[in-house]
Amino acid sequence: MGDIAFLLLIFFVILARAVDDSHLQWQPALTPEVEPVGAALASVVIDGDRKLYLNGQSISADALPAALESLLEGVEPGKRKVLLKVDKEATADVFQPAIEAISMAGGDLMHVLNREDQSTQ
Amino acid sequence: MNLKRRKLLVEPPSTAAPDIAFILIIFFLVCASVQPDTGKLQDIPKSESNNESSEQNQNLEVSLTEQTVMVNGDLVPLASLTNKVAQSLAGKTKESDRVVIVKSSKETNYQRWITATTAIEAGGGIITIQVEQEQVQIVQ
Repeated sequence: MGDIAFLLLIFFVILARAVDDSHLQWQPALTPEVEPVGAALASVVIDGDRKLYLNGQSISADALPAALESLLEGVEPGKRKVLLKVDKEATADVFQPAIEAISMAGGDLMHVLNREDQSTQ
Repeated sequence: MNLKRRKLLVEPPSTAAPDIAFILIIFFLVCASVQPDTGKLQDIPKSESNNESSEQNQNLEVSLTEQTVMVNGDLVPLASLTNKVAQSLAGKTKESDRVVIVKSSKETNYQRWITATTAIEAGGGIITIQVEQEQVQIVQ
């Protein structure tokens, strides 16, 4: 019984990590006040190489609005949180379309940031 | 009177090993998820296009570049942006009047954008972004 539970756990851990974005390298911007972000429906990442990802998968800027809309479709307001993780050196021509896409899809935009006294992530 | 003494258990039974491993994994999983992400919720109304004209002119407009911050065309130090926005929005109670249009040059980096928009929100502004649309004209 214990062995079966063990294998099931490993299986679900691997499954869960397949959709996460922890393998992406980005440096968060700093701000004086932050709050815990909690659970979110989706995460949009712009990494140090200015590449765009949705839920850990590479995506083009043009395809992002439609992909977000399908993810948020049918989700009631207030539960449409979308994390935006942008490298602090990314420029406006890259991150503004992502912000716009989240806004147009009706997502609740949550910037993932560090508090100013936290020097590194 | 003879009391029976139990034998001391010197090692856990080997049948408990998977259960112990299971508990250890749960422990490490919980430890790994102890550091949650932190951030800031930002309510951004749908962006304005460059072509819209009359109504947005009444709203405050903040232009950001890598070096400068301008509020309705006036240069403002980034450190004074909160005060400037608060002064400009004084007496405005309607949400639509407190909308601040943020225009960023392409080179503006995210850290600067976050710092500026945080300052604007601290001054009572509601952020909306204006994305410049590229227009391609074919000249024959």
